[in-house]
Amino acid sequence: MSERAVVDRLTCVLCPVGCELEVARDPSGGLEVQGNQCDKGVPFALEEILRPKRNLATSVPIKGTAATMVSVRLSGPVARDMIFPILAEITKLRPEAPVRRGQVLIADVLGTGVDVIATRHQGADSEERPSGARRSDPKPSS
Amino acid sequence: MERRVETCDVAVIGGGPAGLAAALGARRAGAAKVLLLEREKTLGGILNQCVHDGFGLFLYKETISGPEYAERLAEDVAREPIQVETGAMVLDLSRERVLKVNSRAGYRSVQAGAVVLAMGCRERTRDQIEIPGTRPAGVYTAGLAQNLVNLQNLRIGNEAVILGSGDIGLIMARRLLFEGIKVKGVFEILPWAGGLERNVRQCLMDFSIPLELGSTVVEIRGRDRVESVVVAKVGEGLAPVAGTERVVGCDTLLLSVGLIPENELSKRAGVELSPLTGGAAVDETLMTSVPGVFSCGNVLHIHDVADWASFEGFAAGERAARYAAGDRPAGTTVRATPGPLIKYALPQIVTAGKAGVEWSFRVTRPVRDVGIEVKGKTSGKVYARKKYPRLLPSELQKIKVKDAIEEEIEVGCHE
Repeated sequence: MSERAVVDRLTCVLCPVGCELEVARDPSGGLEVQGNQCDKGVPFALEEILRPKRNLATSVPIKGTAATMVSVRLSGPVARDMIFPILAEITKLRPEAPVRRGQVLIADVLGTGVDVIATRHQGADSEERPSGARRSDPKPSS
Repeated sequence: MERRVETCDVAVIGGGPAGLAAALGARRAGAAKVLLLEREKTLGGILNQCVHDGFGLFLYKETISGPEYAERLAEDVAREPIQVETGAMVLDLSRERVLKVNSRAGYRSVQAGAVVLAMGCRERTRDQIEIPGTRPAGVYTAGLAQNLVNLQNLRIGNEAVILGSGDIGLIMARRLLFEGIKVKGVFEILPWAGGLERNVRQCLMDFSIPLELGSTVVEIRGRDRVESVVVAKVGEGLAPVAGTERVVGCDTLLLSVGLIPENELSKRAGVELSPLTGGAAVDETLMTSVPGVFSCGNVLHIHDVADWASFEGFAAGERAARYAAGDRPAGTTVRATPGPLIKYALPQIVTAGKAGVEWSFRVTRPVRDVGIEVKGKTSGKVYARKKYPRLLPSELQKIKVKDAIEEEIEVGCHE
């Protein structure tokens, strides 16, 4: 048995087989993937270890409607370490109704090439909203 | 004076991912008058508060958020001549498929040719898992916290502990972190996570939130507000082990300890419930023990993916439309029961002679290199066999039988 320093264990999610992958550092310092049953497993594991990408979803207060919030997400995944910087940008958003699903609220956020988009329709005041929802001021940022 | 009773072909109770699909399914199968009743003011059910992405991979072939999924499905419904009523509460359902409906239009009776139950589920609470201690503010079910944070912009606390590793609990761990709330840890009584692996990785591991398996909250402390919880390891029979207790300071406790199908209306209609799923016992057409009453989505059994609740809804709606048009199941029925390592298998009832029946099932614990067998209890014949390198209790699986089934069936898992 060679000296294998296991870096991570993860399940491949590219297909329902769900191969359990083990990523280890080989003696020369490179990364080695084991457990994959097809060729796609290796790039999947390496990206997840070296440059993991994630989407980000939250909701922001909306003005000009009885609804309190409009939900948002990114148009595509970004490098995981961009999550908190982007979150800080999203926190500043105070969109005005009407907002439509898919509407770009921040284009090319922090130069990542992805947009922050609204994920639901919020019409102006006349429309009915879910029970319990009401206008409120943005929460303090403390 | 004689009052005319309102009628419809198919009445769907509940406008979430299953109910919306059921209304569409009923239309596609030719039902002329479809009535969709939703008690909230907006369609979409729980999807509206599930702002995270990961929905729609199977139905729309792309990954979108809950609100987007709900709106797209609701738009499909709006394109059809379906009578949609929001703010409409169904108070009673009879065996004869008469609904008592309370809405802005007033109180009325509706005679339905067929009914689709799609009321969803609710969360298990502190009372149901009997956590000792004081009764301070700051104890929330995970879904309630999700509603308060995502829809109502309320700050629910500053330091949270999460009990239970169901998907909503995992999602909320990340959500609270995004809101600047410290998440001290997720505690799970079982030796494995309750939620999907993807959520464990992306909601906990990404942010170094600790997940402690085999441990639980044994006491809640605090007078007006939660001040701390006591956690302990569990041993034999999931009982807390004396001497392993540890105090974790927090002002908020989230419970993600299971979902219960909401079957009050089903019970009023006399629908037979399965003790294993908490939902109706159904046949291969998703019809319950009450003729003409069908069930789908989380009111039938708890799903891990909304798309599957919708697929079940399409199927239930189509079958309901056919029933309303006079199509009746013919012949005797046989029972299907879960075998070794299977928590439940659905449908529980099969019409004898039926071919192409597909079972949904869950395993009782994580297993490796297993074969799932659909076996005849009298003949011992294996109707279907499928190999899996690994199965998790968090994942709903399916297995289909091509041949006609003529005997009692057992769905079993063999290592």
